[in-house]
Amino acid sequence: MNVGDDKPDARSWRKAYGLALSLFAVEVVLLYLFTIRFS
Amino acid sequence: MNRLDYLVLIATILAIPLYGLWRTRGSASLGQYLKGDASIRWATIGLSVLATQAGPITFLSMPGQAYESGIGFIQNYFGQPLALVVVCAVFVPIYQRLKVYTAYQYLGQRFDRKTQLLGAFLFLVQRGIAAGITIYAPAIVLSALLGWRLNLTIWFAGGLVIIYTVVGGTKIVSITQRYQMIVILVGMAIAFAVAVYRLSPDMSFEGTLSVAGKMGKLEAVDFSIDPHKRYTFWSGLIGGFFLALSYFGADQSQVQRYLAGGSLKESRLGLLFNAVVKVPLQFLILLLGAIVFMFYQFEKPPVYFNQPAYQRAMESGYASQLKALQTQFDDVFVQKRAAIRAVSSTSSNERDVAMTRLRDLDAQARELRDRTKAVLEQAGVDPKSKESDYVFISFILQQMPHGLVGLLIAVILCATMSATAATLNALGSTTAIDFYRPLIPNASDHHYVVAAKALTAAWGLIAIGVASFASLVENLIEAGNILGSVFYGSILGLFLAAFFIRRATGSAVFFAALLAQALVFILFATTNIGYLWYNLIGCAAVLVLATVLQQTIFRGTQAPAGV
Repeated sequence: MNVGDDKPDARSWRKAYGLALSLFAVEVVLLYLFTIRFS
Repeated sequence: MNRLDYLVLIATILAIPLYGLWRTRGSASLGQYLKGDASIRWATIGLSVLATQAGPITFLSMPGQAYESGIGFIQNYFGQPLALVVVCAVFVPIYQRLKVYTAYQYLGQRFDRKTQLLGAFLFLVQRGIAAGITIYAPAIVLSALLGWRLNLTIWFAGGLVIIYTVVGGTKIVSITQRYQMIVILVGMAIAFAVAVYRLSPDMSFEGTLSVAGKMGKLEAVDFSIDPHKRYTFWSGLIGGFFLALSYFGADQSQVQRYLAGGSLKESRLGLLFNAVVKVPLQFLILLLGAIVFMFYQFEKPPVYFNQPAYQRAMESGYASQLKALQTQFDDVFVQKRAAIRAVSSTSSNERDVAMTRLRDLDAQARELRDRTKAVLEQAGVDPKSKESDYVFISFILQQMPHGLVGLLIAVILCATMSATAATLNALGSTTAIDFYRPLIPNASDHHYVVAAKALTAAWGLIAIGVASFASLVENLIEAGNILGSVFYGSILGLFLAAFFIRRATGSAVFFAALLAQALVFILFATTNIGYLWYNLIGCAAVLVLATVLQQTIFRGTQAPAGV
């Protein structure tokens, strides 16, 4: 992933980044549903 | 505010710095002073990053923004989670590996000294001014509404921050920000609960949100590709990404927060915490503004929230005009309240008619507020801050119970102090490491700690100076928001060229950044492009020009290897 990680560590961080971005995607979906519900 | 409020306010804003001073007592090495120590964990880093970004304007202006224009502003934060992941994956490991104190040291190691100084200089100019605005913005509002003397407010908030930031360095900034952010979150959560509780009992909470939505206040996500719309999903995701990448990757006031502690893991976890919580947090602050809006649909609001300015206009010979507008506003308010009740109680067809009527009345109320503002401008009492900045603070002062008023004023001052402390800490560190240490290269560690402290204090005095003279300039707060975007693109371009254009040399990138900055200045002076786009334009210009200059004028030069 980058110069500072060894391979297993890089894999764990990739999972962490994926999780953070997935949670963000869920947040956007919830905001969109909120918009539809109350507009 | 009564005695209880002042007691809560003073205890809150003094206790946190005093605790921080106790935690950081004793002497520190240069490394400890500028980067803290290993005891700083991800939760402190995360809250510190959150507090640095928030600032007082978030808590003063955001609810007012939602009151005026709805919660669509949330989309400006959509680029941030993606940018934070890029910062975690690319920027943080490089800074940690090279053990730099400032982000601009990396530019010196990757390119050359002049490029390091250019990056540091661009940062110092824009952050030096921004620090003054961070102090000025809440001071003007609080002094107007609470009758505090403006200069005394500026000197009290600014002076306290200078003292503890100079004494404790990065560690005290991180510790105080952690507790200031906890006070802010608790205070805002209580304000949210009280605002919901104070809503009219005539309507359910869901019904209230439904009416707010129909009045255009709850459109959180807009996928429109219309470039004239200010806040859309796409402009927030793309423009917001570049703004956040530059801010978190190349602005020392943030870099210093997540490098505190020195562990790659703790830095990354602190940033990922922000990637997850930022959007929900901003949503709740904006929703609070929409709830305050609904509260004032049942409880008569003032025609103009900045009452001190309004009273001055009344006493300056404009009383008859203002009273006439107030009478019309009161009449519209009564009709609006009746229309809202009709919306929630009638059948579907009648509800549509009532809704149309409600929107029409809301437009009339807005027009009356605009006309009132025009009268205040005529009277020469229009203040140098937006009227919407007074909405939430007026709600706090008039509707919250005593004790809580003091806590919420403390929230605004905590936000001011935490953002200012981070900025002064970064300004002092950058000046000491990027400018002072190369001039006097072989002095002792203690010498540089003293120099960093003196430079932090000097930047604090400059910030207070900017805040004291800020009232001489029209629309300074707006200018402060634009200022960051005008400089951030070029700064980000320097860093992206360093990371991704392997053959780029210092001279090519240096002149590319100068040309890109000139291009942004020209566009700023001659066009009216939305300011978020300057981040993208400045950054892209540096990358394109650096590549072209490297292939032409600087073709024979080579980049240093291994950085």
